[in-house]
Amino acid sequence: MAPPRGEVLQGTLDLIVLQTLHAMGPLHGYGIAQRVKQVSEDLLKLNQGTLYPALLRLEQRGWISSKWGASENNRKAKFYSLTRAGRKQLLAETESWERMTALMERLLGGTEGV
Amino acid sequence: MEWLRIFAARLLGFFRKRQRDEDLDAELRAHVEMLTEENIRRGLSPMEARYAARREFGGVERTKVFHRELGGLPFLETLFQDVRYALRMLRKSPGFTAVVVLTLALGIGANTAIFSLMNAVLLQSLPVRNPQELVVVKYLSAQSERADEDFSYPMYEALRDKSSAFDGVLARSGVSFNATYGGQSEHATGELVSGNYYDVLGVRPWLGRLLSPDDDRTPGAHPVAVLSYAYWQVRFAGDPSIVGKQILLDAQPMTVIGVSEPGFFGTDLARDPAIRVPMAMTLVFKPIPSNRMQSVRHRWLTIMARRKPDIGIAKAQAATEVVHHQVLEEQLKGLGSSVNAHDRERILATRIQLDDGSQGFAHLRDEMQRPLVSMFGVTALVLLVACANLANLLLARSAKRCKEVAVRLAIGAESGRLIRQWLTESILLGLLGGATGILFAYWLKTGLIHFLPAEFSTTLRVPLDARVLGFLAVASVCTGILFGLAPALQISRSSVTAAMHGEASLASPGERVFSLRNALVFLQVALSLPLLIGAGLFLHSLRNLRGVDTGFVKENVFLANLNPALNGYSTERIRGLYHDLLVRLRALPQVRAASFTSSSAISGGWGQEGVRVEGYQPRQDEDMSPNAAITSPGYFASLGIPFIAGRDFTDQDNAGRQKVVIINQSFARYFFGDANPIGKRISTDDDPKAPLDMEIIGVVRDSKYVNLREKPRRHFYTAMAQEPHLFDMTLQVRTAEDPRGIGDLVRAQVHDLDPNLPLYATTTLEIQIDDSLTSERLLTWLSSLFGIVATLLASIGLSGVIAFSVARRTREIGIRVALGAQGGDVLRMVVSQTALSVGAGMAVGLAMAYALSRLMAGMLYEVGATDPRSYAAASLLLAVVAALAAYLPARRATQVDPVTALRYE
Repeated sequence: MAPPRGEVLQGTLDLIVLQTLHAMGPLHGYGIAQRVKQVSEDLLKLNQGTLYPALLRLEQRGWISSKWGASENNRKAKFYSLTRAGRKQLLAETESWERMTALMERLLGGTEGV
Repeated sequence: MEWLRIFAARLLGFFRKRQRDEDLDAELRAHVEMLTEENIRRGLSPMEARYAARREFGGVERTKVFHRELGGLPFLETLFQDVRYALRMLRKSPGFTAVVVLTLALGIGANTAIFSLMNAVLLQSLPVRNPQELVVVKYLSAQSERADEDFSYPMYEALRDKSSAFDGVLARSGVSFNATYGGQSEHATGELVSGNYYDVLGVRPWLGRLLSPDDDRTPGAHPVAVLSYAYWQVRFAGDPSIVGKQILLDAQPMTVIGVSEPGFFGTDLARDPAIRVPMAMTLVFKPIPSNRMQSVRHRWLTIMARRKPDIGIAKAQAATEVVHHQVLEEQLKGLGSSVNAHDRERILATRIQLDDGSQGFAHLRDEMQRPLVSMFGVTALVLLVACANLANLLLARSAKRCKEVAVRLAIGAESGRLIRQWLTESILLGLLGGATGILFAYWLKTGLIHFLPAEFSTTLRVPLDARVLGFLAVASVCTGILFGLAPALQISRSSVTAAMHGEASLASPGERVFSLRNALVFLQVALSLPLLIGAGLFLHSLRNLRGVDTGFVKENVFLANLNPALNGYSTERIRGLYHDLLVRLRALPQVRAASFTSSSAISGGWGQEGVRVEGYQPRQDEDMSPNAAITSPGYFASLGIPFIAGRDFTDQDNAGRQKVVIINQSFARYFFGDANPIGKRISTDDDPKAPLDMEIIGVVRDSKYVNLREKPRRHFYTAMAQEPHLFDMTLQVRTAEDPRGIGDLVRAQVHDLDPNLPLYATTTLEIQIDDSLTSERLLTWLSSLFGIVATLLASIGLSGVIAFSVARRTREIGIRVALGAQGGDVLRMVVSQTALSVGAGMAVGLAMAYALSRLMAGMLYEVGATDPRSYAAASLLLAVVAALAAYLPARRATQVDPVTALRYE
């Protein structure tokens, strides 16, 4: 069964968050959600009930770190940034993701050929 | 390693719980506000914007819960919560808490006390380097079932020098000293040890140096001594300048070269020799026989060895056996024709046996193992009874807390969570009980040690160490789970609606509770009865032993030991001193009779000597070694042993006269049958050609010699004045009144004769006999104590059950009384079910006692392990106590006033 549009595929959430932080630099939770929404052209909405537990998990693993700071509007917000371990993890996950998608493409291409 | 990082993060979160919650709140709030601003930018009014943001954001509770569980250690957090709650509940009912904690303190404390003794006697290792590598060397001979430990010095030398399986082999032999320093003389325990003793054990010096093999080379030429730490502390007040000084041991100047490290007590758990000297000094301290170090016949030392780490005990035993056998053959060759073929075969059949030596020579272990393990079983039973009782108590309480539980269930508590919380409460109670139990354990342990024979009780170390405390902790937690489980499960089964309605309905769903409570009564009765029966049997057995006809009059006899030989007295001088002392003592008005003996009655040891008897031809292998003792005139008068025929020794029976001997009835009957033994002759010289040189002058009544359980033995007494050698002897003084008062008078007389002569091991014959009954007294005392405790607990539980049942059925009883039920009917109604439980419990208890009786048989004296009188008495006692316990609360039921009862609730 295909996942309904806009829901996060199992296991890709970490990759999405890490990649967003890699591309944008330090961001708060709201910023991450907004950025994902923008990039996916409103297709992917990161719900807070998904996002914050994920951020906590990533932080406990040491892939991201957090710091209180001021937002654009001078509001107190918690900013997350990628750590060195996180960068390594991002690289590894990207690679494995690419391998996976390549594999899927080949598989799906194969069925088309029949 | 990642889990470690996550755990660390969680642990941090656990300790910063509040900070964490606040952070998350702020973060989420910021998110909502940013959403609101975004909406305002899109043109919504501030109120609409906030509303839309809220809606989009959704509920935050789940996120918070998730964060809480992921961010900290929810298990611990719940635990703390439960503990806090449990403490609050316990504080709210201090009476209940006190009863439970005290019951547990008794139960757990008793188990811990017995365990601490087991730990000390059965589990504790010697405080030396790698004790598990040590072995005790023993040998098994065809005639005896148990392995012997005593070896000759030549055999020790051979094992030390030729065994390939060992890193070192040490020898030791106990000795006592008259130790004199600074003009003060006292009796001190000591050891003759091989030069490698400390090296093999791996003991370090505390001061100076310890003995080395170089201190044990030339016989008689190494006047050096090492003190134990404890002795150094007590005798020399820990004065370090003693090292290098001389002390007199048995009048021989010896230089103290060092003090061994604290905690080291030697190779026997129950002993703590004060002074150790090199074995090369044996000639000085054990001068007779003078060929002790060369003789292969004299076995007088014990051997321990350290295995090479890679050689197992079986392999080491095989290797040692080869050496042993070889040496025996060489020795037999050396002895030539003086050993007949029969003996030769017997000697060569002996086999080496290596026992685990991590606990050293464990004589106390052999003696105490069975009583200790039985006692442990008893205390464990008591603890089980206590658990059943507490489970009952908690059930009653849980019935009272029914509504609280119902409310919790109604607002969505999971039953697993409720069980967990209840168990937390009972485990907490268990731990509180255990903590209080330490005090009781300490007290009981100290008391128990006094039941050990005096020679052990002063030196045995019974620490409350990590192992004992670990046991205490485990026992506390297990106990908590055990008595908390039934009530907790009961709780989780309660139904919300029934509980909300309370428990007053007639056909309440609590019937199951009721039967569970009765099952617990059954269990308590079933466990208590064997304890009571055991107590009865031990009591009976002890009474039999106390009432045994000893053959002598045990009251009013003062005993003391004296060893002038240690001070270098010649046998002639010893004889003179003994004689003078007896004359002086007999002149005292308090003294009825005074004498010396080589073997004091019921002291656990006795000499034996081979004899040849006039007109008696022994069979091959017949035991021709009756008990033998050297006695002075007055011996039989001191002990009150009557003469059947003939006369006592007199001062005229001395070295220049005809050698004389006194025998007991068994001796007379065994060798002479009905013939008159007076005037017959015997000899202790084993050369068959030597003349029979001793004349029998008297026959005395049989008495007990070594212990109270023994069968009548053949026995003969020789005259002190005619013995070629005299050693330490026991002084026996029969007094007119309490013998303990005479001690100082005797000491003063001895001091008058020689101020350097210490009087030691002073006691009375009654105390000595009591000491021989140590384990019997211990078992009787403890089994009575615990039998009574268990019975009381069971009856309290029983009372509780009936009271509870009366209380919950008050309305029903009221209705029945209103309808015409009589007092007897009501009584029958409330006790019938419980009476059934008690009856069934007693039946099972009897069966259990019967099944366990085999274990007890060996510990009883002249009472069968299935003695029907003890069974009946215990059952009757329990039945009476149970009836009483049931009657008191049940009577309340008969006094129920129907009018009040119907208005109940």
